[in-house]
Amino acid sequence: MTPDSTQDQQSGGLATAEEAIARLEDVQRVTEVALAHLDLEDLLNELLLRVREILRVDTAAILLVEDDGKTLAARAAKGLEEEVERGFRLPIGRGFAGRVAATREPVVIPDLDNSPVTVVNPLMREKNVRSLLGVPLLIEGEVIGVLHVGSLTSRDFREADVELLQVVADRVALSIERSRLAVQGQIAEALQRSLLPRTLPDLPGFELAARYLPATQEASLGGDWYDVIELGFRRLGISIGDVAGHGLGAATYMGQLRSAMRAYALDVEEPAEVLRRLSRYADQEHSRMATVIYATLGLESGIVRFARAGHPYPLVLRADGKSEFLAKVGGPPLGTGARYEYDEQSVTLAPGDTLLLYTDGLIERRGERLSEGEEALVAAASAAPDDPELRCDAIITELTGDIETSDDVAVVAIRAVAFDRPLEVNFPAQAEQLATVRHLVRRWVAANGGTDDDCAAFAIAVSEACANSIEHAYGPTDETIGMRADLEDGIAAVTISDRGSWREPRGENRGRGIPVMREFIDDVAIETGEKGTTVVLSRRLGERPR
Amino acid sequence: MMPDLARLSFQRDGDVELAQVAGEVDASNVGDLSEELLETLSNDVRAVVLDLTNTSYIDSSGISLIFDAAARLRNRRQEFRLVVPPRSFVGEVLSAVSIEESVPIDPAVDDALAAVGSPD
Repeated sequence: MTPDSTQDQQSGGLATAEEAIARLEDVQRVTEVALAHLDLEDLLNELLLRVREILRVDTAAILLVEDDGKTLAARAAKGLEEEVERGFRLPIGRGFAGRVAATREPVVIPDLDNSPVTVVNPLMREKNVRSLLGVPLLIEGEVIGVLHVGSLTSRDFREADVELLQVVADRVALSIERSRLAVQGQIAEALQRSLLPRTLPDLPGFELAARYLPATQEASLGGDWYDVIELGFRRLGISIGDVAGHGLGAATYMGQLRSAMRAYALDVEEPAEVLRRLSRYADQEHSRMATVIYATLGLESGIVRFARAGHPYPLVLRADGKSEFLAKVGGPPLGTGARYEYDEQSVTLAPGDTLLLYTDGLIERRGERLSEGEEALVAAASAAPDDPELRCDAIITELTGDIETSDDVAVVAIRAVAFDRPLEVNFPAQAEQLATVRHLVRRWVAANGGTDDDCAAFAIAVSEACANSIEHAYGPTDETIGMRADLEDGIAAVTISDRGSWREPRGENRGRGIPVMREFIDDVAIETGEKGTTVVLSRRLGERPR
Repeated sequence: MMPDLARLSFQRDGDVELAQVAGEVDASNVGDLSEELLETLSNDVRAVVLDLTNTSYIDSSGISLIFDAAARLRNRRQEFRLVVPPRSFVGEVLSAVSIEESVPIDPAVDDALAAVGSPD
């Protein structure tokens, strides 16, 4: 209580039982559950109207502390609407509302003309406000604003008035805080969703899966991300990262880092150099700390090259069941200001091998050492199915299933397709994919006993069939081609299917693809149906008489 | 900065243009190669030799490029020869469409340069 309000104390008690009941009803009117369904704007207006009525005052207003923490700005008002319209602001500590915010105590001014507090708002004079009562809006002891009421006639606000106004203030403070968190959370979530890749590319030779799991605890959306960048010429860029902190700030900075990473990745081949540049960018931003891995994957070689800044180790799961964390290179997180020459490590993904990238939310548990989390990850990842989608789901279920996660989680799994039979892959109907498809076919034929001639024959025939699909079957939309390769009784059969129908060859130089296929392949079967065109290329593998 | 699927280079030897393709030719890069080839071939050369010695892969789109170039050079009354190593994959592909009936083929660059001007 400030000195202004203590003089009120003798009359502070409640006079009669009727009055007590009336007060109780008043409190109910401002704490009614039904009000919770209003949006913040309507709720504030409704509360101000009710409080004006209950306390029989002429003005009621809410001011909120601005982001700078130093200024109050009018947010809602009744009887003083111009305060909001004119965008009234005042520094905390100055004037009437400024004093309430500074002291975090109710302030009563029975008579403006004889007040030790200087009222700076000219509106109070214009409107002939005579008496004022203000209470702070508090959230966990922090002042987020001020609620005040005013009377045009001289009035001594009583203790009960102060208490009732404080009840309203608490209600208002809570609603504002909840609304802020909800809005922040919504924006951060929308931001996060818009920044993560909507779909992952179909790649001949590799299967990709990724998951992002927001933290289960309310309003703790984090700054985890993953990204897949098609670098052209049979290379793929993959980034995963984690910006420190939660909420809108973390999500926004995550977006910045991810975009900067993309820009560098398109321009620079070496992962370590991409990180060096990103690190300089992060230092200049003077923002939060972030951990990150940037990796490139050679789609023909299966070679992964990566550099790591403070991020958890990538995990390789070999086709034979062995696994290893890739911990040779590292460096400090981004944003520490430390000049560090990031180095790169490489690993080759052989057919059937999987690379797993993840953020620390997956392995960090309160009260557990990091190594325990890593062991749990290896156990979960090894026990999971080979298919990357299923593997991601299984790992996440196993490691985060039965606990409330306070951190968000991102996981990316990349698997080099195994040359088991049958081989099934999908890839975009784009000419840029042909070289990689040829490479994949050669490797599959070789792995299944084919000679160099067999490899070359299937490479060109498959490439021709795919080129036909690309040229005839599709427009510029995102269509895919399916390829299936199988071996039966020594005869390899590769099936190429699309969803279009091949038109008649145009011009004298067109239509050489089919003769070329027939030249190299024993049996070429082309079938065009309603659902698309299917080509089956069959050839006996092994040495043949010349 | 990124490596290309194929590179095209040119070498002028008197009034003969030697164009060499290294790498793979398919539908993804044939457009660019064709443009570069036809733009560079000037009217003032007597003959053009297209060297496919270092071409590791070619498909029907590359075949079309050769036929297009042959037709254009024939119209301009310029001689056109191909260099394809015997028993190479590219040679096998080209013989599948009987390209030798349209364009004379030599096993090596020297042979092609020596043969320029001679009746085939």
